[in-house]
Amino acid sequence: MTRALGWLAALGLLAGLAAGFGYAPREAVQGNVQRIMYLHVPSVLTAYLAFGLVLLGSIAYLATRRPGWDRLAGSAAEIGVLFTGVTIVSGSIWGKPTWGTWWTWDARLTSTAVLFCVYVGYLMLRGLIDDPEARGRYAAVVGILGAVNIPIVHFSVKWWRALHQPSTILGPEPSPIDPAIGLALFVNWVAFTLLFAYFLSRRIEIARLEEQT
Amino acid sequence: MSYARRAWIVFHKDLLVERRSKEQTNALLFFCLLLLFLFQFALGPDRDRLAAALPGLLWLGFILAGLLGLGRSFLAERENDCWEGLRLTPGDKSAIYLGKLAGNCVLMTAVEIVLVVLFGVFYNVDLWTPAAPLALVLALGTIGLAAVGTLFAAMTTQVRARELLFPVLLLPVQVPLLLATVSATQALLLGQPLADVAHWLKLLAGADAVYVTIGLLTFEFVLEG
Amino acid sequence: MPANWSYVIAAYGIAAVALFGYWRHLARRARALAARPRAAKARAA
Repeated sequence: MTRALGWLAALGLLAGLAAGFGYAPREAVQGNVQRIMYLHVPSVLTAYLAFGLVLLGSIAYLATRRPGWDRLAGSAAEIGVLFTGVTIVSGSIWGKPTWGTWWTWDARLTSTAVLFCVYVGYLMLRGLIDDPEARGRYAAVVGILGAVNIPIVHFSVKWWRALHQPSTILGPEPSPIDPAIGLALFVNWVAFTLLFAYFLSRRIEIARLEEQT
Repeated sequence: MSYARRAWIVFHKDLLVERRSKEQTNALLFFCLLLLFLFQFALGPDRDRLAAALPGLLWLGFILAGLLGLGRSFLAERENDCWEGLRLTPGDKSAIYLGKLAGNCVLMTAVEIVLVVLFGVFYNVDLWTPAAPLALVLALGTIGLAAVGTLFAAMTTQVRARELLFPVLLLPVQVPLLLATVSATQALLLGQPLADVAHWLKLLAGADAVYVTIGLLTFEFVLEG
Repeated sequence: MPANWSYVIAAYGIAAVALFGYWRHLARRARALAARPRAAKARAA
């Protein structure tokens, strides 16, 4: 099952690359740099999926105390942090030729950076507790708080940005008008989701094996 | 014994311990004084620069003091082997959380009043005119900081590297509160009416409600073991 | 508008390194666990 997922993911990624570079046109305003979006947007969507699963696993673990839920939460968090990192780096690289700087405190980058920090903290907490039962409990509490905090962060950062940058800047989102760009985005998003599922499946298995020893 | 009574007992105990020994409060208040120097020296002699940064510095001071003061919320119980006692309390454990939260709010409020007064005096800022709306922002910010801080303090008391993990966990969650309180404080200090910062107040109130609720719901899970 | 391919390649390159690296990390951990089921310490993250 996992193996099949892996091959599907690989296929999906290839298709995504083809769609992003071959099929999708060069964007009028931003040029080729816009193609980074085929990496950046699916990454952030996958990260949100991951953290949603962390929330699910956390709540379910506190409710049922079945270790499988904790394995889900921990594994999803690890992969979520990975994809969040990819999101931030790709967003930053996109920003350099577009806005002239490697980093701006715009709403999305800032929110994503905060998200990154929250779940790195989550992973650190997990790393510091050896007892699996206590680890599951504590991590679940942080996982729930972190997830619930996401919309709060989103709004606070958005309003904060409105103070400092009233003019809207081209967000790292392609215009939805061009269906070719939309399709390329979609293909890449599916590919990333498959990759996430593959990683998750392997990571959970590793967690399960580790707990057996 | 009723829920409220149990919460009150925890709250009252913490206050009594503090009033008799005064060790924690005094150290924190002195820390605030030191922060004053720190900020002044870090920003240099330019009056205007300091004035412009003031809202941020005020809340930075609260957060730094909060990191020190809140992280120790459960240290007394831990060091004196009272943790088992907390765990074995019959009934809803969230009463303990509420009591601790109330105690921490009182502590942080004391710290904040001192900071506000010190800022007003040393940095020559008029904090008296917007005092009432400012107090509201302070209160909302304090509850948010204390709500999460109390929960994470209980958690990290049991964990290795607790002095490092506590800030690492607390600070990212505090970001929205910091943005809101600093923005609101800045507007208020510029003389804007309370109505202008209503959206920030709503965000703060909403966030506080969420954090306290989660604290109440999950505290018993932290207290086990 | 300049071609800016270097940025695109940099972004994709870093992502590829990160994702591929994580895949290899998972593979290595799985291999280690399979080879020494009893000796592997319970440092499950």
